This record gives sequence, C-alpha cells and structure tokens, in this order.
Amino acid sequence: MNTKSRLFKAVDVLYICMMVVPLICGIVLKVLTKPQTEGISITGAQIYFTIPMPIQDLPVTESQVNSLIVMIMLLGLCLFLTHGLKTRNISVRQHLAEWIVEKVDGLIKDSMGEYFMSFSAFIAAVLALSGFSSLLSLFGLYPPTSDINIVGGWAILVFVLITYYKMKCGPLQYVKSFGDPVPLLAPLNIISEVATPLSMAFRHYGNVLSGSVISVLIGTALQGLSRTVLGWLPGFLGDIPLLQLGLPAILSVYFDVFSGLLQAYIFAMLTMMYVSGGFPMELYFERKAKKAAMTAKN
Amino acid sequence: MQNLDVISVNLWQILISLGNLCILFFIMKRFLYKPVRNILAKRQSELEEHYTAAEKAEADAFADRAVWEEKLAGADAEADAIIKKASDNASFRGEQIVANAKEQAESILRVAKTEAELERKKAVEGIKREIVEVSGALTEKMLEREIKTEDHRALIDSFIEDIGDGND
Repeated sequence: MNTKSRLFKAVDVLYICMMVVPLICGIVLKVLTKPQTEGISITGAQIYFTIPMPIQDLPVTESQVNSLIVMIMLLGLCLFLTHGLKTRNISVRQHLAEWIVEKVDGLIKDSMGEYFMSFSAFIAAVLALSGFSSLLSLFGLYPPTSDINIVGGWAILVFVLITYYKMKCGPLQYVKSFGDPVPLLAPLNIISEVATPLSMAFRHYGNVLSGSVISVLIGTALQGLSRTVLGWLPGFLGDIPLLQLGLPAILSVYFDVFSGLLQAYIFAMLTMMYVSGGFPMELYFERKAKKAAMTAKN
Repeated sequence: MQNLDVISVNLWQILISLGNLCILFFIMKRFLYKPVRNILAKRQSELEEHYTAAEKAEADAFADRAVWEEKLAGADAEADAIIKKASDNASFRGEQIVANAKEQAESILRVAKTEAELERKKAVEGIKREIVEVSGALTEKMLEREIKTEDHRALIDSFIEDIGDGND
C-alpha cells in the first residue's frame, strides 16, 4: 500500500514535470535567443533555423516550438487529470476531468446535436490548443496563435471537416448545394465557402496579434513618457520606466487572458456551427433509411 | 537571428500545425475522453447495480414483513382458540361439577325422604297397636266382662283402619 502510493506520487510528479519543464525550457530558450532591441519592433516569430524542403523551405520558428510546448503540457495535463480514476470518493482532479468532459459534451449537444457527440474530443482539443497557446504570452513567450500559419492550419482542417460532412450525401448533392436557393448565386456561394476558413484564421490571428501590437505600442509609449516626465531624477532613477507599472498589466489581462480565451471559444463555436450547419442531416437520414430498405428488400 | 514577417505564409508550417491539431485531438481522445468516459460508464453500471440490489432488498423486506404479519395474525387466532378452548373446558367442568353436586343432593334428599316415610309408617303402626291395646284394655275394664278378644280386635281394626285412612 505504501509503496503503491509512493509510486502513485512519483508518477504524479512526472506528469507535473511534463507540464512545467517544457514551459521553463521555452522561457530559457526565449531569454537566451532574444536579441536586444531598441524602440518599436513588430515582427513575426523568431526563426531558429531553416530546414530545406521542396517547394518552400521550412523555417523552424518560435511558434512551432511553442506549439510543441503547449502540446506536451496538454498531454501532461490529460495524463495528470486522468491518473487514478475511481468510481467513489473521487479526487478534485477527477472532478475537474469529468467537469471538462461534461461541459464540452453539453456544448456539443447544445449547438450540434446528439449525432456529433464524437466531435467532443476535437472541440476540446481546439479549445485547449488555442486557449493555452494564447495564454503562453502571459509567460512572455510568443503566442503561436498570432502566427497566421498555425491558425491557418486549424482553419484548413475545419474546412476539410465541413466539406466532408457536406459530401456525406454524395458529391452530386454537394455540387447542387452551391446552386441554392438560386443557381445564379453559385459564384457567391463558392466565395463564401472559401471565405469560411480564411475568415476564421484571420479573425483569430488578427485578434491575438493586434493585442500584442497594442501592448508593444503602449509599452513603448509609456517608456518614452516616463523618460520625459521622470528624466530629471538623479542617477539611474531616471532610467527606470516607472510609468510602465500598472497599465500594461491591466491591458495584458484583457489582451492575453480575456481576448485569447474568447477567440478560442469563438473558433470552437464557429467550427461547431459550420460543421453542423453544412451537414444536411435530414437528407442524410432519409437516404440512409432508403438504402437500408433497399438492402432489406434484396 | 532572423524574424519572420508579420504575415508570412508557409505551406509546411500550415501542414505541421494541421497535424499538431490532429495529434492533440488523438491525445485528448485517448488520454482524457476514453478514461473519463470509461469511469463514468463504470460508475453508471455500479450505480445501477446498487439500485437493483437495493430494490431487491426492499422487495425482500416487504415479503418478510408480509410473512411475519401473517404469522402474527395466525398467532392471534391461535391464542384466541387456546383461550376459547380453555374457557370452554372450564365451563364444561364447572357444569359437570354442579350437575354432580345436584345429583348427590337429590339422592341424599331422596334417601332422607324414604327414611322419614319409613319412620312415619313405623310410628303409625306402633300407635295403631298401642291404640288397639289401650282401647282393648279400656273396653275390658268398662264392660267388665270377658269378651272375645278375636271379635273385638277385628271390630277395632276396621274402625282404626277407617280413621287411619281418613287421616292419611
């Protein structure tokens, strides 16, 4: 019993390390590689090295590394939460795990319907990856969600899913759905179809990036203001940007925490809306019933 | 070290991020949803088991109660029967005793009556004889002559017989 509980604790520590160590590594990497800059610099992610690939070279950037960090952390979190599940006298972490699963299930049931219950894990993955990626900026790391490539990849996956569910009634039905309600509107429908992933990607990416841009701008402005207002103070006191205290923290709460989580939620909601909205469920079940009747007859 | 432009589209990065989301989906499915769903299902089945066990126990308890109530009612009836039997016995025996006593009393009375009758008869007989003797002597004295005792006796007897019949 004692050795068992000791083993249990050791595994727990391992899982917690899985959550913490990547974050620390990321921060260390950032501190070691960050170039000293003066003034405003709004750039994309830092490139660590480039791998030559066909068509286009693959630059391994901060956003790639940070995505990997988030994924390892989430894996550790999942393992930690589901470690030592019981049916009775459940622990706080099991409550949390069950709460997460039940909440996401409820979300799916409300906005997609019973048929899409298998989407629950996917939506949870979207929420977790997007939310935690945005929250990385709390630790001073580059949030991967402010890289268009990262969010674009997710949006393309969502687009594939939407198209897959639209195709469920056969490609003919899919093509026909563009001429709805009037065949004249087909070009517009096609444009809106293509616009869906683009708008999703740009909305998410733009919100997070604009948050960082505003943070940088205000930080720099406050630094300049501080220099002019408090510059008369003797010695090194004049060099400390005292006015940078306070306001950036409040802005960070809004842009990093609130906006990041809100965008994650919006991305997940839009995914659910588009997938369940694009799926002609009634027609699909009608066809299924017809097919079943045919096979029964034969 | 170089930085990317703010907007720079790279095909491979997009593919990698797409793959990352897929991988995270499988991680979530395998390491969060599967165990949680399993444990929820297990708890559900356990709960149902408990419910069925509880229902069975309740039904058993009700059945037991019915049996015991029946038995209790039976015991009441039995007790009633025993009491009734006992009281019947008692009253029967009482009657018997009373009847016996009556009979005895009657027989005693009868014996006493017959004895008294016998005594009376004896007494009547004796008185008759004395009267005969006394009247015989008296007439002897009064008439002062010897009469034939046998004739007189017959005469007097008939006379007394008349008297006695009248008395009886």
